[in-house]
Amino acid sequence: MAAPAKSTPRDAQIMAAILKDMGVLEYEPRIINQMLEFTYRYVTDILDDAKIYSAHANKKTIDVDDVKIAVQCRMDHSFTSPPPRDLLMEIARHKNNQQLPLIKPYTGPRLPPDRYCLSAPNYKLKSTKKPRIQFGLPMKQINQFGSGQRISLANLKTSSSSGNPTLTVVTKAVSQPTVTIISKPASSLPKPTIRVNTGSLGSTSLPKIITQSSSGTSILTPKPTPIQTSLLPTTITPTISLSSAISTPTIITNPLKRKLEDDDYDK
Amino acid sequence: MEAMEGIESGKAPVKPDISEKQTLLAVLQFLKKHNLAETESQLKREAKLTDDDVATENSAPSESEVSHALAAYKSDDDPTLYGDIYTDLKAFVDSSLDVHKVELAMVLYPVFVHMYLELVYNGHESTAKSFFEKFSKDQEDYHQTDISKLATVTKPEHMKGNQLMENFKASKFVIRMSRDSYTHLKRHLQDKQLNLLLNIIQEHLFIDVFDGVPRNKQQIQLTCGGILGEAQREANKAKVFYGLLKEPDINVPLEEEEDPGEGDSSDKPKKKKSKKDPLLMKKSKNDPNAPIISRIPLPEIKDMDKIEKINMLRESSKKVKVDKDHPPSICFYTFLNSAHGVTCIDISEDASLISAGFADSGIRVHSIAPGKLRSVKTGLELELIDKDADDVLERMMDDKTGGEFKRLSGHSGPVYSTCFSSDRASMISSSEDGTIRLWSLQTWSNLVCFKGHNYPVWDVKFSPHGHYFASAGHDRTARLWSTDHYQPMRIFAGHLSDVDCLQFHPNSNYIATGSSDRTVRLWDVLNGGCVRIFTGHKSPVHCLGISPDGKYLASSGVDQIINLWDISTGSLVSQMKGHTDTVYSLAFSRDGGVLASGGLDNTVRTWDMNRVVDEMDTDVDASIPSTLQVVDNSNLLLGTYYTKASPVLSLQFTRKNLLLAGGAFVAS
Repeated sequence: MAAPAKSTPRDAQIMAAILKDMGVLEYEPRIINQMLEFTYRYVTDILDDAKIYSAHANKKTIDVDDVKIAVQCRMDHSFTSPPPRDLLMEIARHKNNQQLPLIKPYTGPRLPPDRYCLSAPNYKLKSTKKPRIQFGLPMKQINQFGSGQRISLANLKTSSSSGNPTLTVVTKAVSQPTVTIISKPASSLPKPTIRVNTGSLGSTSLPKIITQSSSGTSILTPKPTPIQTSLLPTTITPTISLSSAISTPTIITNPLKRKLEDDDYDK
Repeated sequence: MEAMEGIESGKAPVKPDISEKQTLLAVLQFLKKHNLAETESQLKREAKLTDDDVATENSAPSESEVSHALAAYKSDDDPTLYGDIYTDLKAFVDSSLDVHKVELAMVLYPVFVHMYLELVYNGHESTAKSFFEKFSKDQEDYHQTDISKLATVTKPEHMKGNQLMENFKASKFVIRMSRDSYTHLKRHLQDKQLNLLLNIIQEHLFIDVFDGVPRNKQQIQLTCGGILGEAQREANKAKVFYGLLKEPDINVPLEEEEDPGEGDSSDKPKKKKSKKDPLLMKKSKNDPNAPIISRIPLPEIKDMDKIEKINMLRESSKKVKVDKDHPPSICFYTFLNSAHGVTCIDISEDASLISAGFADSGIRVHSIAPGKLRSVKTGLELELIDKDADDVLERMMDDKTGGEFKRLSGHSGPVYSTCFSSDRASMISSSEDGTIRLWSLQTWSNLVCFKGHNYPVWDVKFSPHGHYFASAGHDRTARLWSTDHYQPMRIFAGHLSDVDCLQFHPNSNYIATGSSDRTVRLWDVLNGGCVRIFTGHKSPVHCLGISPDGKYLASSGVDQIINLWDISTGSLVSQMKGHTDTVYSLAFSRDGGVLASGGLDNTVRTWDMNRVVDEMDTDVDASIPSTLQVVDNSNLLLGTYYTKASPVLSLQFTRKNLLLAGGAFVAS
């Protein structure tokens, strides 16, 4: 880029000269402004720190040593550089000595334990309606969310003895503390087995039992039943009025009670 | 110790010499410190040392103690001492025989660097500066970038933070030299008693001696250029299993051969065997150079994979022959209106998807096959479909969500690399924020965020067999991950500077990395060790390509030259010159006959690999570098294809040998 004009401030000219010295010949003109800002901020930070250190040492003015300490401290915080080579080699040697773990066959999508995945819900809804305690079906508020975000795949496990291609689809169970629609035939909650038939709902597609599941639970392990799904209805409108439309009794269960899955954590 | 020896040699009757004078001055200093005035004046008279010499001595800020006064001669401030020694060495090199001259000249650069560093380390700033100015211009061009970095180091405090300096100080610079040149050099050093130089050479240089004819300038030029010199012979000795893995037996249904009439003119035999591809034929026998299939754990072949393979074989059987007489057709995908945003482009292996990473941390995936991009139905809807139907995979997708492209957001810094998995169900991307993200291409969402590099990750690639992926970053390491572990499985450390690019070997057992330290290394996945070091690039390496048969590795970068390496021996096979700017992508054709390259000069160039293989010198002995012969003629360049103003960021041959290229239009 062209050298700054003679009328530019001296600092800018110096900065351009530094860039030229370091071999940077092509740059956008705004770079000089950015570099000057950075320089100003860096120097004032260092001098501020140095002032504190010299005051701590009960000195009247800032000393070279104060500045040195200030620089050192700042280097450790902001301008970290990658670890030194010997440390890297040591870490690498340690890691490389472990054998590559064997790969378990037929486990569907291979993902780390849920804690390390991003498949947990990152919000929860509060109900606006006062819950009615009634006998019968545990009914939770229904949640709705944008279809673009939610992932609901059924982890189906057709018998692998079939010659057909095995369909393994990821299940991402997005389960809310307060809102979940999960049908787990082997639910541990002592709920009656009232089922809401699909047909009775008409436009909505809320076919199954609404049970509570806890946040972050993903149901990936194959269950003995042929189908296990964690369903997230995307087409259901969020209001509780729907539940009343269904006219099923509602029971409140503790939304915070969590059913621990044994594949939640590292195996 | 050395000081004592210096004095001994000083006492021996020799011609006036630098070290001689220096020793005397040191003795004088010692005497002065101990206030032995009479002895001092006597020595001065006898040695005929003028007062000026002494004065220059005294002006030197020597912070050494009395006991070290004699050792202080090593850290002397006399600029002429180091300068003299260096000029002396240069004169020696020039005066030696032509055969030895080039090899000995390689010593000059590391000696220059270490002398400068010693001057700086001992605090002689002005001397160091003058030494530097005097001799830096003499060094080769490709060292100039390192030298300009050296120039910023003027005080001992600077040395701590500077990575390049640490590399130099800590490791030895490797030079390969023939035995004759080496003995010549040793004799000279011992004759002249230049202890300073001897120390530097012994401490900081490693001279790998080989028995054979000294190399000529051209041969040396081919392999020098690495930050720390060349690779030692030992580095390239390990056995590398470069063959391809044995393919599982798949019955390829061949009944659907349409138009057998067309096949009359082609030379492909229309037998009813299941394997036509010559590559596959080789694999059916036991290749001694191939790793056993269980060397590293690989995912099992699922039914889906088998179908995929069958499709692949079927398409590959229709592939067009691409060679010198049949140049490939090139289809170029240009990203418009995003010139300063597109940082990387990747095309999937079956050429159905193209993804671009942007500087604003977004990723866009487009479909370049006829279908649209759909996402999977919601859980409720999936419940309702018939799982035993044949087209369950189609029914799974929600057509309402179909679109021409999908956007993926999640990173917090520019995305530097993306890669599709071989089954196109997932994709990984790496970014400046130090994370690698795994995206599902069925739900179009981010599944996992792998944190490990704390510095920008420059490149990321899936393994051809799935399940593993590798990343290369600014922290000078490459790492191997698997999708079901949140921590890396292997860390490949050894490069001296950022690792810029990475490629898996077709058998998934090896990973090649190219770095800013101008070397290319091949790592073994099984134990994380470096099995090959290829030096010869004169600038950072930005792209790599491995031939489909696994034998050759091509690399290129800022120096615009494509180097082709033989993996089995570790030697350079061919150099392809032609590009006029940095090369950013390389791709081999499916049968390995043509190498395509593209870069910042807005061109795609194709090179003749068949010719290289024919003209290659097959009985070259890697341990004797002077037998290196490189295929270098200009006939290797088959064609140059210009784009309007779009640097070529990605190249991929489809299964039918059509070349796809991707780039972003840069309106300047």
